[in-house]
Parts: sequence; C-alpha cells; structure tokens
Amino acid sequence: MDSLEIVFSGFLISALRSATPLLLALLGECLGQRTGIINLGTEGQMLIGAMAGYGATAAFGNPWLGLAAGAGAGLSLASVHATLAIGARANQFASGLAVWMLGSGLSAYFGAAFVGRKIASFDSVDAGAVATWPIVGSLVSGVTPTVLIALLLVPVIGIWMYRTRTGLRWRAVGESPDSARAAGVSPAWVQVQAVLAGGLLSGLGGAALSVDYTRTWAEGMSAGRGLVAVGLVIVARWNPWWTLPAALLFGGAEALSLRLQAANTPISAHLLHTLPYVVSLVVLTLTYVRARASGAPAGLTAVMDR
Amino acid sequence: MKFRNPQKESTVKLHHLLASAAATLALTFGAATAQTIGYIYVGPEKDYGYNTSHDLGRQFVEKNVAGTRTLHVENIPETAEVERVMERMIKSGASIVFATSYGYLDYAIALGKKYPKVSFMHAGGLKLGDNVGTYWANSDDAIYLAGMAAGSVTKSGKLGFIAAFPIPQVVRSINAFTLGAQAVNPNATTTVVWTGGWLDPAKEAEASNSLIDAGVDVIGEQVDSPITIAQTAEKRGIHVIGKDVDVSKFAPKAVLTGASWNWGPAMVKVVNEIKGGKWKPSHIRGDLKDGTVVLDPFGPAVTEPVRKTILAKKDDILKDKFEVWSGPLVAQDGKELLAAGKPMSMEMLESMDFFVKGVVGSVK
Amino acid sequence: MRSFILTGPGRLVVTILAVLLLTSGFFIAIGRDPFSLLWLIARSAVGDGYALTETLVRTTPILLCALATALPARIGLITVGAEGQLYFGALIGTGFVLANLNGTGPWLFFAMLAAAMLAAGAWAAGAALLKSHLGVNETIVTLLTNYVAALLVTWVVYGSWKNPASQGWPATAEFPAAFKPFTFFDSRVHVGLWIAVALALMLHVLLTRTRWGLTLDILRSNPRAGIAAGLRWRRNVVLTMALGGMLAGLAGILETASIQGRLQANISAGAGFSGFLVAWLARNHCLRIVPMSLLVGALLASGDGLQMLANLPSSISLVVQGLLFVGVLLAGGGLRRLERGHG
Repeated sequence: MDSLEIVFSGFLISALRSATPLLLALLGECLGQRTGIINLGTEGQMLIGAMAGYGATAAFGNPWLGLAAGAGAGLSLASVHATLAIGARANQFASGLAVWMLGSGLSAYFGAAFVGRKIASFDSVDAGAVATWPIVGSLVSGVTPTVLIALLLVPVIGIWMYRTRTGLRWRAVGESPDSARAAGVSPAWVQVQAVLAGGLLSGLGGAALSVDYTRTWAEGMSAGRGLVAVGLVIVARWNPWWTLPAALLFGGAEALSLRLQAANTPISAHLLHTLPYVVSLVVLTLTYVRARASGAPAGLTAVMDR
Repeated sequence: MKFRNPQKESTVKLHHLLASAAATLALTFGAATAQTIGYIYVGPEKDYGYNTSHDLGRQFVEKNVAGTRTLHVENIPETAEVERVMERMIKSGASIVFATSYGYLDYAIALGKKYPKVSFMHAGGLKLGDNVGTYWANSDDAIYLAGMAAGSVTKSGKLGFIAAFPIPQVVRSINAFTLGAQAVNPNATTTVVWTGGWLDPAKEAEASNSLIDAGVDVIGEQVDSPITIAQTAEKRGIHVIGKDVDVSKFAPKAVLTGASWNWGPAMVKVVNEIKGGKWKPSHIRGDLKDGTVVLDPFGPAVTEPVRKTILAKKDDILKDKFEVWSGPLVAQDGKELLAAGKPMSMEMLESMDFFVKGVVGSVK
Repeated sequence: MRSFILTGPGRLVVTILAVLLLTSGFFIAIGRDPFSLLWLIARSAVGDGYALTETLVRTTPILLCALATALPARIGLITVGAEGQLYFGALIGTGFVLANLNGTGPWLFFAMLAAAMLAAGAWAAGAALLKSHLGVNETIVTLLTNYVAALLVTWVVYGSWKNPASQGWPATAEFPAAFKPFTFFDSRVHVGLWIAVALALMLHVLLTRTRWGLTLDILRSNPRAGIAAGLRWRRNVVLTMALGGMLAGLAGILETASIQGRLQANISAGAGFSGFLVAWLARNHCLRIVPMSLLVGALLASGDGLQMLANLPSSISLVVQGLLFVGVLLAGGGLRRLERGHG
C-alpha cells in the first residue's frame, strides 16, 4: 500500500470514531451557550462520565447501562456548575474551572478501582451486504452504536432548536433574558436545564470514549476534548447542525496526524500532534474574520466579550 | 452516623472514623521502628501496566521482608518535582528509595549526595552513585522471542509498534521485536507510531486503527498500559504482543505472547543486602534467565511448531548460546552497525538511538 | 451577626468555613477522618522548615502566572494562556542559553530572562491581536495555543535540542552556572520569589495609582465611553496581554534555569491553571494575589504528604483544589445574597 492509500483508507470512519465523544460534548455545550451559559467544566463532566460509564459496564456487564450511568454522572456534576453559575451568580469561567478540577480529581480517585477490568462492549453495527461495497463498506462496518447516537442527535437537536416552541424559548433566553422574562419564560430555569442537558451529553460523550472507543479507563483520558468542545461551539456558530463538521474537523486532524506517522511522513510526531489545535485555531479565526462573530447569542456575548 | 464508602462498600460508623483517625495520626507521628522503603511512580500505580508492575514488586517486598513498611507516591513527573518527593520521603523516615522511572536518575544521584545514609535504587539508569544503584531487566530477549511469534503469525508481513516516546528502552524493544520477526520472516517490516504520551487511550486506539488500516496485522507496544491496544486488536481481529503485565485476559484471541516484569524477587534481594550491610551499588540487570522478565503464555494463534521453535530459541538464550544484540546488524539506511559475531557494547545498548533495517519510522 | 458576616474579616471566616465544610464532607464520605487529614495538609505544607521552602518553591511560578492572568483581566480579558506563555518563554530562554553555553559575565543571566520574557510577551500578543483586531474570543484562543506551546517544547526536547550526553533521554544540556539564579539557605528557593513579590507590588501601584490603571478600569467597565473619550482599547488589550505574557515567560525560564536546570517536557506542573485559580480567588487584586498564591502553593505542596502518609492517591490534590474553588464561589454567592437581602 502506498502512502496515500494508508492515509485515506478508512480515514473517514477513523475521523468519525475519533470525533464521536467530542461531538456529543459539543452538542451539549452548544445548548448551554445558546442560553448564555459557558461551561469550562465540560472536560470534568466528560471524565466523570467516562469513569462512571466504564465502572457501570464493568459492574453490570451491560454497555448500555454504562452509557446511561455516564450520562447521569455528567448531569450530576453539571448541577454543580448550574448551582454556582446560575444559583450563586458566580463567574461562569471560575465555576467551570472548579467543576473541571472536581471532575478530574473525582474521576481519577474513584476510577482507580476500575482499572484493569475487562468490559463487555458494543459490537459494530451489522452492516450485512453493505459491508462489501467499496468506500462506503468500510465506513458502515466501522460504525458502533455510540456513533449512530451522536449522528442522530445532530438533526434531532437541530430541528428541536429551530422548529419547536421550546427551542425558540431557549434561544430567546440566550438572546435577551429580559424579553424572555417579559414573555413569561424564566431565564434562570431554562439556563439550568440547558446546563444539565449539557452535562448529560458530555457525560455520555465521556462514556462513549471509555466504553466504546477505547474500552479502557485511565485518568485524564479525555485529553482536553471537553475544553476543545467549548471552543468549537464558536466554530460551529452555535448551530447544532454545524457541530458535526466541526467535530469531524478536529477528529479528522487527530486521526490524520496518527495516520501520517503510520505512512512514515518525515514530519516529527510532536509537530503532527499540534495539528488538531492549529486547525481549530485557524478555523476559529476565519469564523471571526468572515462574520465578526455574528450569530452569537447576545446574552453570551455579554458574558464573553466584555 | 453512617456514611457510605463506595471504595470499600461498607458503612462507616463513628468508631471507624476514630480508628482511622488514630491510624493516620500514628502513621504521621510514628517512629520508624519498621524499616521504611519509599516507592515513586511516574504514572498511576493502578495502570495495569508499567507502574503496576513496580507496585506489585513493592507489595512483594512488604510481604517477604520482615519489619518493613512502605510509602508510595504516584503520578510524579520526571522533573524536579521528584527530588522534592524523594526528600519528603526521606524526612518521613525512608532509608531506601525506589525511583521507578527512567527520568528520575539525575535527581536520585543529586539527592544521594545529600543523604549518604539513604540507599537509592533507580530503574534503568546508566549512572551510579556512592549510594545509588540501578536495577532493570533486559526484556529484549523476551521481546525478540515475541517478535518471532509475530513474524510467524503475520500474513501481510507488516508489523506495527505503538510507543510513547523514543527513549532508548523503547527503541531497543522496537529493534528486538523486528529482529525476532525477521529471524523467521526476513522481509517483515515494523511501522512505528508515537503517541506522545505514556497513557492516552484514545490515541492508542486511533494509532492501532491507523496501523491496521495500513495493512498491519500484528502490533507490539510500549506504553504505560497495554490494555487499549490489545482490546482494539481483538475487536478488529488481528494480533498483539503484550508488555509489562500479562493482558491475555483482555484479548484472549489477539494476544500471541508478551514480555512481563516480575520485579519482586530482585527487589527483595537488594533490600536484604542493604539491611545486612552488604550492599554495593551496581547495575543490576535481571533478565529472562533469573525470572525478572517472563515470557507470557502463548495464545491460541501460535501453533505447536512455532511454539517449539520459539522455546528452542529461548533455551539457547538461557544457555548463553544466542545473543540478540550481536552482529551482523544493519541500520535503517543500510549502513552496517555491527559486524558479524561482534557483541554490542553496554554504552551503545543503553543509549540506543537508531533503528535497524526493516523498521519504518523515525527515532526523532 | 449579619453585619459582622458582611465585613472583611467576616467574609473571610465564612469562606474558610465553607471550604473546610466541603473538604471535611468529602473526607468523611470516603471514610476518612477529616481532622487528621486537614492537620496533615497543614503539616505537609508548613509543618517544618523543609515543607515551608517547598511551599515557597511552588508558589513562585503560581504567583507570576496569577499576575499574568490578573493584568489582562483589568481590561476585561479572560485569558488562560499563562501555561502556554510559560512554556514558550522557557523555550526561547533555553535557546538563548544553548547559543551561549560558553559565555561569561553577569549579563548572561539577565539576557536569558529578557529573551524569555520578550518571547512569551510576543506569544501572548499574538492572541491579543486576534482579539483586538478580529474580536476572536481570547479564552478559547489561549486555551488552544497552550497545547501548541507545550508540544513545541516537546518537539525540540526530543529533536534538535536533545542533549547527546543525556543518553537518549529527552532533555537539553544542563544550564551552566552562569545562568542559574541565586538560591537561599541551601534550599531550592531562589531569588525569583522576591522578584515575583516585587513585581506584584509594582503592578499594584501601577494599576491603582496611575492614569494607566484608571484607563484600564474605564475600558473594562464601560468600553464604549472609554473609547469615545479617546482611550485606546486595542492598544491596551495588546499591552496588558503582552505584559502578562512576559510575567508568565519569566516564570517559565526561572523554573527551567533554577529548579530543573535544563529544559524538558512538563516543567509547568500546572502553574498556569493554578495561577488562574489564584487570580480568581484574589479577584485580580495584585496584593491579594501574594497570600493566595501561598495558599494554593501550600495546598499543592501538601499533596505528597497526603499520598505518602495517609495512603491517598494523587488525585486527592485535584479534588481538594476543586473543593476549595467551589467553596469560595459558594460562599461568595451566599454572601452576595445576604447583601442583597439587606437592601
């Protein structure tokens, strides 16, 4: 196989697999930021979700239960952020960082008991005859349930946000809490819900990482994905539909850097590892250049661009 | 007052709290009537890999040497931080310190000068001090044998190796693996992927998938914990060589064999020597022969004739009839590294920074 | 009672109580005795001369990174870039040393500091320019560039700057004595601590007693009015970020030259993020940053005591830090509620 083949064969499914945990966290953070709350604790939520998901799967032998446990753990941790940022009116960045620290520490602490256990995980989706088709074949046969869930959630949340009444209310809270209040919506309550939903999704993303993608638990295993998710929401212009390409961008860059090594590219591995971050930075900048960050919920702008 | 303790799954009552209070206070203020031995790990001690192997050694020592108590600290990076931690251990009464990661060496030597009465044992170093010795085990033989298994089982002739950083110990493993494979399959190649971290399951999974998509069907590895790579291999139906700890229970079909550590007995020996006043700092190098390195049991994919060949070679190694690191050795670019029949010097061995022919990848 | 709580000392007491309650609650929940553990934390941080010097060693980079965070915060920027600026400063400073391994003269030490500080300042200015001219959110940019800076250090340390004498081990050559700062009492505390404290004082004066400080305050609280009045927002964005970057770069090169003695990966030990925590705890007031840095430094220094003597895993430090943060934020919120209820 020549270098080009190595790099591109299976690349799309590779990027998709790598992007799935990130995509879930991204969707969650998108919801939160849409209502005007930014959550730097997403990383901690992913970690606690990964730990809880792995532990539950190891204890009960059922990966679906693991995913549920991960989502639940993420939601619980997010409630801390909700309490602090919304209830106690604390600064959102500070509160997010606190949640991140707690999530990292607690997941490492309780997760130590789970290392070295084998878990029953998902099999790839049975693609039947499709698996033999060129290009699409390898794509479809590499798909696992969590990838499907993430892919399905994109249109679900996208349609919910732009076509339903609750979606409209949530967007209104983000644009102008005062007018929302005047219309009879409680901004604080909507924000709490959004943060909790974000916690659920990032916890689910973490569980997808540990139960499905790697089938392991290790301290700090999300390696900054949660933080990147917070930034990528801007790249996705706060639009759930755009979270998929944004996540694929990052996941793709990551998959690419490892594949380039496998294809024996002469560039140093360390420089290749910067690829995902540099790419995200470039796209982020371009986003601002082209549209001067229009599209941001006004309430969020008030928080971020003081 | 009852509180749930998820770690131990028992309810905690007031007198439990008081008892643990007493115990903690006793530990902190306790006189060192027991001999105290300190252990420092670069990663989590429960990683089921490299660090766990040293921790198992620690537990072995505690059980088999009378009158010892051990202190252990995990997740200490290879920076000046470790000097601080070692010093703190010494001040808490440690008279022996096991610095279990390569990058701790200079700090151990510096501290050795400051505390001449304390004995230091460093894992894998090449320098000694008046009170600093090193210990390591040569896993190259076992990895060579594992490479033979890989070379026999591979259908594509393409092997892979996933590792964290290009440090000498890792480079040696990669070369030994390749040489072993080439012994049974002269055209075998090994493609190397660096993950940039000792413990990053997502990168390890992705690296495995990249290699597999590139046609690799046996993967060797040297990262903190072999679990992720083994499980990815199992999921995709290819084979894998384990390291540090036996991982066949995670990937019963994929694992061919592996090279595991067994530090306990070597550590007990050193501790007893120190206790008896007979210790002189030296480079202790265990290996397959003395049992510090163990070749894991063969997996189902290794057929009977292959096992016979490998065990015969193992026998040769044990009887000193075969040496992995002897010429002829050719570098990646074709240059001759070692002439036929010549052995490799300890210096070249322990600071290895080149790849042999057949390895695809860069040492940088 | 309420009026006492709302005074300065009262708020401090409430906050401390909140933190103690949370940490004790956690210790009890994991089945350990809170009192002995809290006592152990205190002893491991300041219990003897050695512990004290180790706390001070930890504090220096945290203090500088906290200042690096607080300065841009005065104009309303929220940056987490101290970590990356630290690394980049260390990188360029090391480059200077490697190019002058055989040099002599007292000017070398200061030139090395200058090189590191200028480089880190430029690194920060880059992020600042994206903000000032394109409006790109500085928090996210600095977050991403942190990773890049750390990876650049890894790249040189494994590649072109790897010391051939270190037997393949990824680190640069040892810094010659000419580049090492003065240390105190045979400990590892070096003159950088006093430089950091002096800088904190200087910044405090600059920010509260000069026109520039006032300019920043106005631009933060009412940017439109400020700009309308002729104050330069863009220039000050870049200026504060660059100056902050310089401080973090100083932390980086001091850690490298003094504590580590050479450049290798992972030298920061999270000082950038701890610095952010400290800046928040101190509400970006330069004077308050000093005791807060000591507090967080002490907490981190006590982590090994907890590991060694109480048999707890290393994650306990993170949990306690997180609980500290949460406790402070909760107390702050509660106190604010109390205030508002007051009318």
